[in-house]
Amino acid sequence: MNQIRPVILELRGIGKSFGPVRAVDAVVLRLQGGQVHALVGENGAGKSTLSKIMAGMLAPDGGQMMLDAKPYAPSNRNEAEQSGIRIVTQEFNLISTLTVAENIFFNDLPRSCGVIRYSTLNEKASRLLQQIGLDFIHPTSRAGDLPVGSQQLVEIASGLSRQCRLLILDEPTASLTDKETELLFSQIKALCRQGAAVVYISHRMEEIRRIADVVTILRDGRVVCTDTMDSLTTGEIVNRMVGRDWSDEYRRTTPETGPVALRVEHLSVGKKVRDISFVAHRGEILGFAGLMGAGRTEAMRAIFGADPIDSGRIYLHGSQRPSRIASPKDAVRHGIALLTENRKEEGLLLIKSIRSNCTLASMEKFSTAGYVRSAREKKHVGGLADRLRLRCWNTEQAAWELSGGNQQKLVVAKWLSTECDILIFDEPTRGIDVGAKFELYHLLSDLARRQKAILVVSSDLKELMLLCDRIAVMSAGRLVEVFDRKPFDEAAINRAAFREYVHPVHSQEHERNA
Amino acid sequence: MKRFSWKLPVWLTDYLGMAGALAILLAVFGFTAENFFSRSTFLIIADQVPDITILAVGMTFVLIIAGIDLSVGSVMGLSGTVVGALLVNAGQPVWLAVMAGVVVGFGCGLLNGLVTVRWSLPSFIVTLGMMEIARGAALRVTQSRTIYIPGYLDFITETRLLGISLPFLLAVGIVLLAQLVLSRTVFGRYMVAVGTNEEAVRLSGINPRPIKLVVFALSGLLAGLASIIQTARYQANPNNGQGVELQVIAAVVIGGTSLMGGRGSVISTFFGVLIISVLETGLAQANAQESTKRLITGAVIVAAVILDYYRQRIRHGKAG
Amino acid sequence: MVAQTFVQDFIEFITKGIQMMETKRSRLPAAGILFLGLMLGIPACARKTPSGPDKPVLALVMKSLANEFFKTMEEGARQHHQERASQYDLKVVGIKNEEDVSQQIKYVETLIAQKVDAIVIAPSDSKALVKVCKQAMEAGIVVVNIDNKLDAEVLASNGIKIPFVGPDNRKGARLAGDYLARRLQAGDAVAIIEGVPNAFNGIQRKLGFEEAMKASGMNIVSSQSGYWETAKANQVAAAILTSHPALKAILCANDSMALGAMAAVKAAGKTSDVHIVGFDNIEAVQTLLREGRILATVDQHGDKLAIYGIEYALDILKGQTTPADKETPVDLITAETLR
Ligand SMILES: Nc1ncnc2c1ncn2[C@@H]1O[C@H](COP(=O)(O)OP(=O)(O)OP(=O)(O)O)[C@@H](O)[C@H]1O
Ligand SMILES: [Mg+2]
Repeated sequence: MNQIRPVILELRGIGKSFGPVRAVDAVVLRLQGGQVHALVGENGAGKSTLSKIMAGMLAPDGGQMMLDAKPYAPSNRNEAEQSGIRIVTQEFNLISTLTVAENIFFNDLPRSCGVIRYSTLNEKASRLLQQIGLDFIHPTSRAGDLPVGSQQLVEIASGLSRQCRLLILDEPTASLTDKETELLFSQIKALCRQGAAVVYISHRMEEIRRIADVVTILRDGRVVCTDTMDSLTTGEIVNRMVGRDWSDEYRRTTPETGPVALRVEHLSVGKKVRDISFVAHRGEILGFAGLMGAGRTEAMRAIFGADPIDSGRIYLHGSQRPSRIASPKDAVRHGIALLTENRKEEGLLLIKSIRSNCTLASMEKFSTAGYVRSAREKKHVGGLADRLRLRCWNTEQAAWELSGGNQQKLVVAKWLSTECDILIFDEPTRGIDVGAKFELYHLLSDLARRQKAILVVSSDLKELMLLCDRIAVMSAGRLVEVFDRKPFDEAAINRAAFREYVHPVHSQEHERNA
Repeated sequence: MKRFSWKLPVWLTDYLGMAGALAILLAVFGFTAENFFSRSTFLIIADQVPDITILAVGMTFVLIIAGIDLSVGSVMGLSGTVVGALLVNAGQPVWLAVMAGVVVGFGCGLLNGLVTVRWSLPSFIVTLGMMEIARGAALRVTQSRTIYIPGYLDFITETRLLGISLPFLLAVGIVLLAQLVLSRTVFGRYMVAVGTNEEAVRLSGINPRPIKLVVFALSGLLAGLASIIQTARYQANPNNGQGVELQVIAAVVIGGTSLMGGRGSVISTFFGVLIISVLETGLAQANAQESTKRLITGAVIVAAVILDYYRQRIRHGKAG
Repeated sequence: MVAQTFVQDFIEFITKGIQMMETKRSRLPAAGILFLGLMLGIPACARKTPSGPDKPVLALVMKSLANEFFKTMEEGARQHHQERASQYDLKVVGIKNEEDVSQQIKYVETLIAQKVDAIVIAPSDSKALVKVCKQAMEAGIVVVNIDNKLDAEVLASNGIKIPFVGPDNRKGARLAGDYLARRLQAGDAVAIIEGVPNAFNGIQRKLGFEEAMKASGMNIVSSQSGYWETAKANQVAAAILTSHPALKAILCANDSMALGAMAAVKAAGKTSDVHIVGFDNIEAVQTLLREGRILATVDQHGDKLAIYGIEYALDILKGQTTPADKETPVDLITAETLR
């Protein structure tokens, strides 16, 4: 049946090198109209590079592309868009100082005599957002002010804004919640019905299983195989991805929960975090679930001292006296670490080497009287890179050269280098491949076994249910309920996440009293 | 994991490039200027670079943290007039005057840093203000008059070790020390990090403010130090160092330090200073016309920066 | 008064500040500081010199007050005014940078608007200032030109005459050059360090030096600009000394540059072989003249120059003179005259 569908884009032996790295090698691919074609592979397998080549953002150094059986060699992104090929990249391309509407229609702003017609623009944008079900995003808000998840949605919206023949989505759901993922899927299906082809890149196997018709597995830049989705089991896919037998064996054994490591009381930050209290123990993994904008990131940042708090107290390591955490520096001194959700802006020094990124937060361990002990540093970084299976050819490489998932691993490596006892992970597995993801789970588990307290914020509830000992659910800035593993009740957690939005009585009362 | 390494160290390719550019320049003047390859030419250059070099070291640090210091020329002028006024008008001992000059420079730098950091202001505007303030103060201290310093500071210019003057040795020492600090110490690492992504540094549990403060104060301190050398050579003229900030920035940028912060090398800065100095001395020796001098100097600055662009590209393996 | 300079600087500062405010984060504090600056600045700018109704108001428009020569000139004028405060009121304005021609034009325009009675001006450019001076004359203001003579051709093409009161720089330079020539032998190599390339008085001094050198048969091996600055002159002098080791003298268009040349000669170890000549007779060179490290300089009596101009303007206002050029004295200063 696949044969009947027209081939829209065909790749013949496409290759691309970065210095000594062969990122993409002799790739052959046929993308058919009306089909969702999944690209899977480990971090650094070359998925993003390949899609950037298709979208005209990178020039291949070998091979040929055929669009509708005619040679196709776009020299930039604009040209590819003219030919109807659009991409939603893994790294955001929004201009943070422009509004949502301006970003969506950046390439063809409605104008008369060179003056932008804002009324038309905003109307068009708001219609589009509504269509895709994103009516909660206001077209005139500044893109940079939106939370990461919403930024990704805007990015997708701009990909959907115009007619296209081929839409490439590079890890579109990395920071979306289930509900938003559903929205996206319905859009993808609509697009397929119109005869367009979709390339879908993701590390989430269950998503791929649901949406994709055909899957191509990449390893080290080469195509391992292309097959219909039905003919492969998830296990087979992952085995071929990593090139060895692999099992997703991970079970959180009942931990030996130690003494209280962190006690938060009545923490409030503006309207985002309202009066939350909880306790985290040594040796346990505490998850934070909730919808986008529920205030989880804000709460974690406040605990870490990254943002000023309005009220509340934080007790550390079982102490009876509250600790003063006015800055991240205080937090780190008290043994708290935070992996921010936004690695590019807040986590990494992109133009600096893997080595200096890795040891940034723990320089005192690699120096004597202010003098850097390079040998010790190099040894540590090399070892850690191997342990985390960081895909690079040299630890002197700049961080921006790493693939998305490997950048995330680097942030993890930075904090593992410190001796922090309380580790807060905000979306730690965003963009990490399945193999690495389970490695990270094992790592977190291991850290917990070593009596560290682990806090994990994630939009992926399945992940939290797999990983955590307890899950705290936040809803509209409040911590509404904490669930124990016995085992977790997914439906109940979901209900809790909506609670404050459906019955916000509690909060209104509170505000009236305040 | 596969991990190869390129053998030729990056720093070597960098310095080789700069040294090559310098060599070409020397060769050109060797042909065009009379007596260019003489001992005295190199002594002149060695006499002329110390003050600029010392300022450029401070400027390199400031640019690395993504700041800029437009006040160095004026601060140098002010420190010099303070030295002159204390020595001549107030009859103070040499050590005290010299100390005071350095302290005044340090104070100006500290003030730049405090204002920049406390209110998160762009250093461009803060140091622009300081540029005016320090110049005004220098004119005030001297009543707009050059103070002639009879011989007190001659030991600075006249002490020679193996034929090399004290200021030159001092400048080279500062360059080496600063390069060591930049590439081998935690402070250097933090400086580069702050210039690259200040927020990421803050969220790594490091307070970027003291780092910035120290860098600005250091720039002022070095301006104070440079002023001692300037004053010893040229007397205490309140107009000393006018426009020097641009010359210094040019030298630093020729050395490959980025105006965007996060990237720079003190040794390369020194090469940048040498290139500019050789260029100016050579053009003067070749008896070039005023207009020619300016045309050529400008062209060399732009060419050097373009060269640096390609050097960066080669380093990052970004072909095509 | 100096408030004029302040106003201009202040406006410049505020504009730059506003531009900087566009950058993120710093918006609030920057705005605060600017506001504060405005509040403090405006009354300071607004303060005026009180002037009686009957006394004529004279404005002295200078080049850079950061320059010692003009500072001396200004002080001379103030002294003169203090002694005769009942006769006239004085305003003094000076630009920040000697090359800032447009700034000086703006000052003159402001003075026209303020309806002063006379303007005594040391133009920063001998051509560019003619037009605004004409406007002043058309507004009934007496204009007297000091220090740097306005270009005769441009004046003629504008159909105006402006009296020039000042020294003949060329003559002064010639005096110093002739004095030097007596110490040299015909054919000796000499070099000239010029002022800023387009400055009239700098050019005149250079011409004077050249005349003297040619008349006595010296060989001018190089003539380059030192931009009136010590450090720059030092660099140029050092380079010339290297390329012409037989050099016997350096003639500098001002004393600051002579200081730089002196440092270069000293560094080359030729203090006893190379003579240095300067111009302006600033305080700092007097010891050096006595010690013989600088051979000669020229005094054009800067402290009196403005006074001549002011007195001349007052005379014209009183109808006592018809406008005509008036030359002021220039004197050669050497170790002998100082004694
Ligand atoms: N600009 C670049 N310079 C050097 N190397 C690069 C560059 N871009 C990508 N690479 C390298 O190419 C390889 C493929 O990277 P790519 O981003 O395509 O991986 P990916 O499959 O998208 O991974 P992920 O799942 O982590 O996003 C990686 O080894 C990466 O380090
Ligand atoms: Mg990718």
